[in-house]
Parts: sequence; C-alpha cells; structure tokens
Amino acid sequence: MLGLAHNQSFECAGREDASKLVGEFASVGLPGNMTLFHFGNCFALAYFPYFITYKCSGLSEYNAFWRCVQAGATYLFVQLCKMLFLATFFPTWEGGAGVYDFVGEFMKATVDLADLLGLHLVMSRNAGKGEYKIMVAAMGWSTAELVMSRCIPLWVGARGIEFDWKYIQMSFDSNISLVHYIAMAAVVWMFTRYDLPKSFRLPVTVLLGLCVYKAFLMELFVHVFLLGSWTALLVKAVLTGSISLCSLFLFVTLVHSN
Amino acid sequence: MFEEASEVFDNMFKSSFPLTFIVFIPAVLILVSPLPAEAAHEFTVYRMQQYDLQGQPYGTRNAILNTEARTVEAEVLSRRCVIMRLVDFSYERYQKALRQSAGAVVIILPKNMSTMPQDIVQQFMELEPEMLATETIVPVYFALEDDELLSIYTQTLTSSSSQGSSSAAEVLIHTATANGFQMVTSGAQSKAVSDWAITSLEGRLAGTGGEDLPTIVLVAHYDSFGVAPWLSYGADSNGSGVSMLLELARLFSRLYTYKRTHAGYNLLFFVSGGGKFNYQGTKRWLEDNLDHTDSSLLQDNVAFVLCLDTLGNGDSLHLHVSKPPKEGTAQYALLKELETVASNQYPEVKFSMVHKKINLADDTLAWEHERFGIRRLPAFTLSHLNSHREVQRSSIMDVRSVKLSRNTKLIAESLARVIYNLTEKGAPGDLQIFTEQMQMQEEQLSSVVDWLTAQPRAAQLVDKDSSVVSTLEYHLGRYLKDVRRHYVKADKRDPEFVFYDQLKQTMNAYRVKPAIFDLLLAFCIAAYLGAWPTHLTTLNKTLSSILLTQRIKCMVLTFLERSFNVV
Repeated sequence: MLGLAHNQSFECAGREDASKLVGEFASVGLPGNMTLFHFGNCFALAYFPYFITYKCSGLSEYNAFWRCVQAGATYLFVQLCKMLFLATFFPTWEGGAGVYDFVGEFMKATVDLADLLGLHLVMSRNAGKGEYKIMVAAMGWSTAELVMSRCIPLWVGARGIEFDWKYIQMSFDSNISLVHYIAMAAVVWMFTRYDLPKSFRLPVTVLLGLCVYKAFLMELFVHVFLLGSWTALLVKAVLTGSISLCSLFLFVTLVHSN
Repeated sequence: MFEEASEVFDNMFKSSFPLTFIVFIPAVLILVSPLPAEAAHEFTVYRMQQYDLQGQPYGTRNAILNTEARTVEAEVLSRRCVIMRLVDFSYERYQKALRQSAGAVVIILPKNMSTMPQDIVQQFMELEPEMLATETIVPVYFALEDDELLSIYTQTLTSSSSQGSSSAAEVLIHTATANGFQMVTSGAQSKAVSDWAITSLEGRLAGTGGEDLPTIVLVAHYDSFGVAPWLSYGADSNGSGVSMLLELARLFSRLYTYKRTHAGYNLLFFVSGGGKFNYQGTKRWLEDNLDHTDSSLLQDNVAFVLCLDTLGNGDSLHLHVSKPPKEGTAQYALLKELETVASNQYPEVKFSMVHKKINLADDTLAWEHERFGIRRLPAFTLSHLNSHREVQRSSIMDVRSVKLSRNTKLIAESLARVIYNLTEKGAPGDLQIFTEQMQMQEEQLSSVVDWLTAQPRAAQLVDKDSSVVSTLEYHLGRYLKDVRRHYVKADKRDPEFVFYDQLKQTMNAYRVKPAIFDLLLAFCIAAYLGAWPTHLTTLNKTLSSILLTQRIKCMVLTFLERSFNVV
C-alpha cells in the first residue's frame, strides 16, 4: 500500500493530484489489524507514564517491585471489602431515572475512606524514607487500579472494529489517576506524622477530604453542568492537578523544614 | 525492572501450581477470545432475488460483504459498498457502481412508500426487471430507512463528495474528525436450497344432474414477485386474484347449497404456487391430472379455464386468449356475458379481448392460461393489464388494490349468467344476481387482501408449513369440498427452478477511522509521553530551587501559623 502510494507520487504532477492522492491514502479503509494498532496506542498512553514514573523516581534502585505488587494486592483486598460493604448496607435505590440521589451517592463516596486506610496500611508496613513509602504505595495502588479497571475494557473495546473516543479518554484518565494517587498517598503520610505542625493540620485535612470525595464532586459537576466527556476530563485534570500541587507544596515544605 | 519482574514470576511458578493456573488461564482465555460486536447501527437488509429458471441464472450471486461505505459521488467505488437512496436512484448510477466493480450496493427505501412521488415509483418499477435481467456478482441489498441510517448516509455523502475537491491539509483535518463506516453482513454465502416444495391447493363444488357434467376451472396464483423477495407483497399481483377466487368460492358454494340454485356445472378452484416462476404449480398439477391419473375432472369435459391475474386496479379489463373462442362454446358465452355485464352495469370499465398466440420459443410463458392451452384445454386469463410484460406484475411497489370489489362483482355476475344460462332464458343485461342475501362481502375482500399483503409471499419464502398456505387451505375448506394440497419439487438432474437462501440479513455499520488517523494519534501520544519525564524534572528543579531559599520558607511557615491561629 505504501509502495504503491510512493510510485504514484512520483508520476503525478500538480497539487490537485497530490491532494487527491493524500485523500485517497487518508481514506483507505481500516483493515482488521490496524485496530490492534489503536489498542496499542491506548495502552501506551495509559501505561507508559507509570513506567516512566517508576524509572524516574528512583524506585528501581531500591528493589521495590515486589513491594509494589504487595501494595497492589492490598488494593484488591480493600476494593473487595468496599464492594461487600456497599452491597450489604446500600440497597439499590428505586427512584426516578433522571433524579440524582445526592445523599446516597455522598454516603457511598464516604466508603472510599477505606482507600485511605489501605494506603496507610501499605505505607506503615514499608520501612524507609517518606518519599520512598509514598511512591511505593502510590505506584502499586495505581498500577493495580490500571490493570483491574482499564486493561480489560481497553482490550475488549479498543481492538474492535468500531471506533470510539472513550478509549483514549480512559487512557488519559489513568494518567490522571496516577497523579491523584501519588497526591493521596502524600497527604495520608502527612496526616499520620506525629511531628506535623499545627498550622498544617487544617490544609492537610481539607486536602484529604477533597481526595476522597473527588469522584463524587466530578459526578456532581457532570450532572449539574451537563459537561461533555472531553470537558469532564479537562475538569478532572485541573482538579487533580490543583490537589496534587497543593499537597506537593505542603510535603516539600514539611520535609525541608525538618 | 524486568529482572525483578522475572524473579517474581519465577517464584510464582516454583511456589504453587494453582496460583499460576489462576493467573494464566484467564489471561490466555482473554487473549484468544473472539471480539464482541458493538456496532454504531444494526439494521435488517433484504437481498435482491437470486434464482435459476430453466437453467438460466438471474439476479445477484453474492450475499456477504465487509466493505467501507461510499455514495455514488465518490471517485473510487471499487470494492466499496455504494449506498443510494431511492429518490436519487437511477439506472446510470447503478450501472456506474457495477462497472467500477463495487463491493456491494445498498438501496435505501423510504419506510412509507406512499409518500414517494408517483414518477419516482414508476421509474423504479420499470428498472426492477432490468436489474434482474442480468446476473451480477455484486450483492445488492435493500434497506428501509430510519433516522440513524439517514444520518449514516448523510455523513458518508459529505465525506465522499469532498474527496476530490479540497487541499491536502483540509483532507488531513477531515480524516481526523470525520467518521467512516464499515458495512458488514452477519450471514454466510448464499447457496441453493435443495428440496424446496411449492404448494398449491385445489377444491371443488360438484354440480347436480347427471354424470358427465361440464367443469369450469377457476385459477389464481398466490405468490408474489419483486426485485427483493422479502419486500414482495403483491397486493394487485396477485393478492387481488386470490381474494377474488375466495369470494367467488364463497358465493357459488352458497348458491350450490340450495337445490333450486344448484347448477349443472362442476366448479374446480385451484390456488397455484410458483406462478411467477413460469407457473410451476399449474404445470405439475396438469401433468398429474392428465398423465398420471385415470379419471379426473380435467380429463373429461372442461367448459373453460378462467385464470385471474391482477384485477385490483385500473378501469379496464382484458380477456387474454391464445385462440379466439368459437361461437357456440362456453368460452364464447363467457366472453359475451362479460361484454354484456360490463356495458350494462359498469360503463366506466373498458372491456376487450386480447389475442396473443402461445410462443413456445420464449423463455417463460406469458399468462397462466397458456399452460392449459398447451394441454389443449380451453383457457383464458382476465386481467386489467394489457400485456404480460407490464411492470406492475413484478414490483415491490405493488401495495394497493382499490377496484377489487367492483371487478369481483362484474366477474361473479358474468359467471353466474354463463352457469345458469341466463341470456338464453331472456334475462336483461342489467339484472343483478348478487344482491341482498347473496351480497358480495366487500369487507371480507379487503381484509383478505390486507392479510395477504401483511407478509411477503415470494415463492422462495412460502414453504409447505407456511401460515399462508394453511390459512388458504382452511378458507377453501369452509366453502369447498375435497380440498387437497399439491406439491411440486424441482427435478434433481435438470431442475426447472432453483432457489437460493440468505435473502434477509442483518447488516452492521461500524464507525471506523482511516489508517492515517492511527498514525497521527501515535505521533501525538509519543509527543505527550516524551514530554512527561521532562515535566517531572522541571517540576522537581523549580520546587527545589524555590524552597531552598530560606526566606521564602520562613515566610510560608509564619504566614500559615498566623492565618490558622486566627481561625
């Protein structure tokens, strides 16, 4: 296909012919194996930041792979407990279709506090510097989330003939989750420090609350403002970015003040 | 990192077999799983006819397609699925698609045919036989329009017509934003149906007064024909004929129950199948009755055979004969009675006799009476059409039948006048027999036509267990005696007709992006990923450079202490 296009480009003259050629090449139908290329695109977009973060944060020097896997196993366990809890205590709500149950969803989001407990558990079991603990916990946690909640939809959906922008959005979302979990682990670590200055208590608590209820807030925004999928992604990125910048700022201040 | 990973996996392998099992078997299963289909739009499509008649193939030979959609305006049509709407359909465009060896043709028909202007309908009706006349390997499908299909069509139209005209940059932008559609059918390749039995039904009313009574045979074929078998409803041709036959059966069975009106003619009613495929049902029935049976009503004394074919519309009636009837025969009597009744009671109807010799060199016979004529039985066909080649006989646009009750009354009166010999007895031309209690039931006539047009009755779709056949059998059984079924199957070695399957398919339209889009996306992702580590390092540098400054550190701490102590 490429060779034919190349030959033709030498033979024809004039811009119209060239543009026609580009048009024809551009509009060539998608053979079956190209959809695997699309899956590869989405997978690279989702997974490579994790890989790069792992490399750049210096975790590889500490032989942290097995600890990250343990953190991932803790994630699975915590999710299982959360699901059981939700299934037992929160029966399905039979209400109208369009009305959004604010209180119910708020209660459900509160269960996400278990995530914080899980992160704390992971971090307390790992001995080492603060940064090391945070990074190990965050990497393991977010990689487990990537594998569990995004790999299978990507594999099943992005490989199909039908094209949908949601797979690219899902991959972006996994990048945002990585940043979010790093910030969350940092905030949890700061919260449990005995030598945290009093002035830091309030902002750390506020950030902690924001981390837990971020998903709830996102759903609220989407529902109230009726955001499109790309706009919602942008809002989520901005929110996570601001949370993580604040927590990074506080963390560096804390570490360097000691 | 990969060394550590391999270490972990080694441990996993050595430690416990069930763990590896649990991890790897689902992974393998997921890898080899077939892809679920989730299409942008799924709709039913009806294929063009495919059949062989007397060894000659007709129609489209292929059923499967998996190609990208285009409209006729596009430059390159080869190996693409060409979508056309009925309003834009013309024979030149169709030929253009076939000449450029398109992958398939899909014609979108409006859901409600009656909203179409008459000239488009007429033009399409005339093109149907031309489309079928030559066999083609391109699969041709018909689909009924709905909103999603229309939006798919408009999107394909905009992308097809903009292909040749814009600059290279515009084309690139266009491919990134627009959707292409891949059309895929879900069925298999079409193959010949073996052992297809065409069913016909017969019933009789016996006359009174002696042994060797003359027999009048009334025939109508119940199957319909069109360019797509699943869309052939055949209201006029020949739903009108069948409905009229049932009404005549009802009227005469009522007359025959009373001794005073029980006439001296045997009435034989025959509802034949395979009529549109050169009258296969009639052909075999005649062979069975004349060649293979010792005694049959058809052998002895046949007054005439009247075939009813397409009598639902129009203001004319034609009696098609292969030999002009001689004076003194029952045929001649019927001819005269029809003229009398038409001129006296229905002056708006123009009645005439059309004489056409049987031409055995033709591929197919013209009218059903020619089958009887070949076996030397006096027969004619009554129809509002002037010629057997008229396109109304074989069109999918045939959905209305408005003049049926008037024509039924006309024919019933004429038949009664022949059977009871009324003209010789001096009855006036405007005497109406079927009035009051013997009134013709118009509602029943129209409801039978409605029922017949509620399902497609192409000969390939009506098998011997079909509800059409069993309902007709039941209705005939209410009025007639000795209702019997008659089957005809194609000969094994030299089949007169061969039908093919896969006439109705589900087509999926998948949104696809062109190949260049994936390359563009890969570039963008590579650029984004390449920026990630640089972002991290710059963030690191700026933060450490900011916060290593003592003064700013102190300022931050004191500011925080003050503000939150106030609170």
